[in-house]
Amino acid sequence: MSRLLFLLTLGAIGVQLSGCVIFREPVENPQSPTQHPAPAYSGTPTSPYPAPPAAAEPAPAPTPPPPANVPPPATRQFHLGPAATALVAQAHRQAAGGDPQLAISTIERALRIEPDNPLLWLELGDIHETAGHFDQAAGMGHKALQLATGDPRAQSASWHLIADSLKARGRNGEAAEAQRRADELAPQ
Amino acid sequence: LKIWRYLLAIVVLCGIALAVYVVHLDRIVTTQFEGRRWTLPAQVYAAPLELYTGEDLSAPDLEHELQRLQYRRVDHVDKPGSYSRQGDRFQVSLRAARFADESRPATLLNIASNGAGISGLTDITGKDVAIARLEPLLIGSIFPIHGEDRIVVTPEQVPPMLPAALKAVEDRNFDTHFGVDPLGVLRALWVDARSGQFEQGGSTLTQQLVKNYFLDSRRTAGRKIREAIMAMLLEVHFSKTDIMTAYINEIQLGQDGDRAIRGFGLASQFYFGKPLVELDVAQVATLVAVARGPSYYDPRRHPDRALKRRNVVLGLMAEQKIISSADAQAAQGRPLGVMGRGSGGYYPAYLDLVRRTLRRDYREEDLTESGLSVFTNLDPRTQELAEKILDKELTRLDHLHKIKGAPLEGSVVVTAPQSGDVTAVIGGREAGFDGFNRALDARRPIGSLVKPFVYLAAIETGRYNPATIIQDVPVDIKIPGAPDWQPENFEHDINGPIPMVRGLARSLNLATINVGMDIGLDTVRHSLQRFGIEEDPPRIPSLLLGTFELTPLDVAQLYTGIANGGFKTNLRAVRAVLGADGKALKAFNLDVAPVAQPDAVFAVQMMMEQVMQRGTGTPAQSILPTGVVVAGKSGTSSDLRDSWFAGFSGNAVAVVWVGYDDDRVTGLTGSQGALGVWDRLLTAIGPTSVSSVMPESLHPVSIDFRTGYEPSASCAPDPVTVYVPLSFTPPPAPPGCTVFGTAPKSGTAGGAKPEPTLLDRAGKWLQGITH
Repeated sequence: MSRLLFLLTLGAIGVQLSGCVIFREPVENPQSPTQHPAPAYSGTPTSPYPAPPAAAEPAPAPTPPPPANVPPPATRQFHLGPAATALVAQAHRQAAGGDPQLAISTIERALRIEPDNPLLWLELGDIHETAGHFDQAAGMGHKALQLATGDPRAQSASWHLIADSLKARGRNGEAAEAQRRADELAPQ
Repeated sequence: LKIWRYLLAIVVLCGIALAVYVVHLDRIVTTQFEGRRWTLPAQVYAAPLELYTGEDLSAPDLEHELQRLQYRRVDHVDKPGSYSRQGDRFQVSLRAARFADESRPATLLNIASNGAGISGLTDITGKDVAIARLEPLLIGSIFPIHGEDRIVVTPEQVPPMLPAALKAVEDRNFDTHFGVDPLGVLRALWVDARSGQFEQGGSTLTQQLVKNYFLDSRRTAGRKIREAIMAMLLEVHFSKTDIMTAYINEIQLGQDGDRAIRGFGLASQFYFGKPLVELDVAQVATLVAVARGPSYYDPRRHPDRALKRRNVVLGLMAEQKIISSADAQAAQGRPLGVMGRGSGGYYPAYLDLVRRTLRRDYREEDLTESGLSVFTNLDPRTQELAEKILDKELTRLDHLHKIKGAPLEGSVVVTAPQSGDVTAVIGGREAGFDGFNRALDARRPIGSLVKPFVYLAAIETGRYNPATIIQDVPVDIKIPGAPDWQPENFEHDINGPIPMVRGLARSLNLATINVGMDIGLDTVRHSLQRFGIEEDPPRIPSLLLGTFELTPLDVAQLYTGIANGGFKTNLRAVRAVLGADGKALKAFNLDVAPVAQPDAVFAVQMMMEQVMQRGTGTPAQSILPTGVVVAGKSGTSSDLRDSWFAGFSGNAVAVVWVGYDDDRVTGLTGSQGALGVWDRLLTAIGPTSVSSVMPESLHPVSIDFRTGYEPSASCAPDPVTVYVPLSFTPPPAPPGCTVFGTAPKSGTAGGAKPEPTLLDRAGKWLQGITH
């Protein structure tokens, strides 16, 4: 759950950042980045990821990552589009209601909309991890890690998921190494 | 007196015999009719179209999708299955639907669209809706071989007009008779005699039901008696409503190859593509007409007969005051409005893949009888585009090349790169024909499609990168017990030392073989195996040129792994299976496993982009939208028998095979045949650029495409960007112009050390031609 909280917070901060690559829409005057963090998820239907700033006119599509031939910027910040945000909230309700399979279907639905978003792969990995599908969780963690290039927070969360899945399978040495990488990348 | 006793005894015996017979029939009627009811073939659905703000879906495309689901355009939306449109604003009355993960009641949705896509979704109260979906298109069912296919409807799903029309036309005393209707027989005889044609039959609906349900189609007196008795028994045990519902679900209404179209629910989908309850008067009357003789009144094969009979039915409906004369006349003026068979909705090659997937987990009877709902990843839009484009391109190629014999064939598989969802499968040129499924069953040599895996394996050894100088020089490979293998490049050219990126982009055989032999055949085989092909390629050197055979689906599995950044995900046609009760039985979850080094895969992806920029994929540039970056590889088998192209954009992986079924020479390379299908298909889908992000362990460097050196201003360089380890920098160009042909013999700078024997051979050869 702690990673979840962490993701919520980073999602909240993500919206505040103006130079965000994944979020192409102009954001005027980024407010203090220390503004209230997103409310922690507690089984209520509130979205775990903050909604993007209200756009005047056409709401943005989930923005594709930069073209491959452009080197990634030193840092970037992923966040979810409105549709994926709603689905993630729904998946959390389903998981909290004791139906991980339904939650998995819902996150997969979101992934069809934003397949390149590491936050969704982390969500999916999380549910698999909780449901005891550790191999799947590890796969999701590695996939998230690949997509998270340039976003240290998402990278850290990916290593964290990988570490958890390794630990669950008794591979403690590798788990410790993965955890070390997660900690290195974690924001202070 | 004695004779009377005998007679009495005979009568009693006959009576007992009859009673026994009746009891026997009664048992058949009650057990079969009540116990089994209908076997329910599994219903198979396409992926539902998701609707969300920001989605790249224009107003015309949205309308097209609504029409695919046979939504009616009206001025003011009323019943589910209708929509209104004012400019770019839609109001849609969505039908109740079952999805893999939930059931949704019928609901009203407002959709605002603009040039860029969907700009807003609201519900009936004006509240924003984050995401909604259209119901999934029914794409078919899994029915037994030579079996009955049907969609069972409940009385609520039947328009009230239908039973009324059936009674008016087939059985006016249905509500009062006891299973048989002697008066009805007489009246029918009278009507038919007077009009001189066969307008009314004498059988009650109950008798027709019995005939369809319990009996074969022989016409004998004994069978007639049996039918009459069973009809009466049915009336004893069941209500009129039950019998009417049974009739509506049982009766045969068409034949589609091996598939018997049973029941009005399926017939409605089969002829009109929408739920029974949404049919209008004319359509209901058409089905009632067809019920009289599904082959004689087949509305596709005999539209004139069907139309005439439909109008008779409408006349009878007006006569019985079911509809007004004015309505009947208006309906009589309408065309039949039956969907063409080619107008989509039937995808045998995809269903074949679904069936094979499910057979691993389910018994045949479960699939054909127990009413499962199967939710698949088929994208009807992609599927239809692929069908059309393949057929059009093959027709063009046939005209261009005019080779005697059967026309060219082809197949296509399309998947989603990150999830392995199979979105389209085309098994042959005649996509609606349930025949040989080339996408799944045609195993052909893959030719140069293997090369990305050779170079991937090479990069993963750590000894190669896309800028490494490799040797495109002749090889002579000793094979025990066989003549030496001395392959050549396609153009019979020899290019000497070249950067690896050129070897892949130009699909140079010699360069690939030299690299492959250097890293070892097993390394290459392993590179293929881990991406999930079913059979290991043979351990022979010609493996490096793709002489082993794979199906288009196998190739899609391999290339999806590359598109997915080195993650293997099993291709999925099926998302989930629900039982007849709506409970989830099985989910086919997304599963990804890292099988290759991500930075090596990225480097290969970027080289495959160069295939499109400078190599065998360049003809696609004139077709693909400008600015969209895609990656791919051509494949051609020996003597130009098989023409392949496989590759991906950010949102789709597509594999195309073109060739002859009898393995004749096509005269087509991958670029000349399959590429023309591939690029047009990707363009029609609306490609996004390859979205891979450069790993932190790599950096881009610019090299001369011809030599691999740093581009030198003095030598008309052809700079290309490749992605190499951070520690690597390209060698500076030697003084002067150093393109092959004038290059010094020591062309090994900056790369892996080639085998000296090869270099020596090249040197000798070089001396030979420079003289």
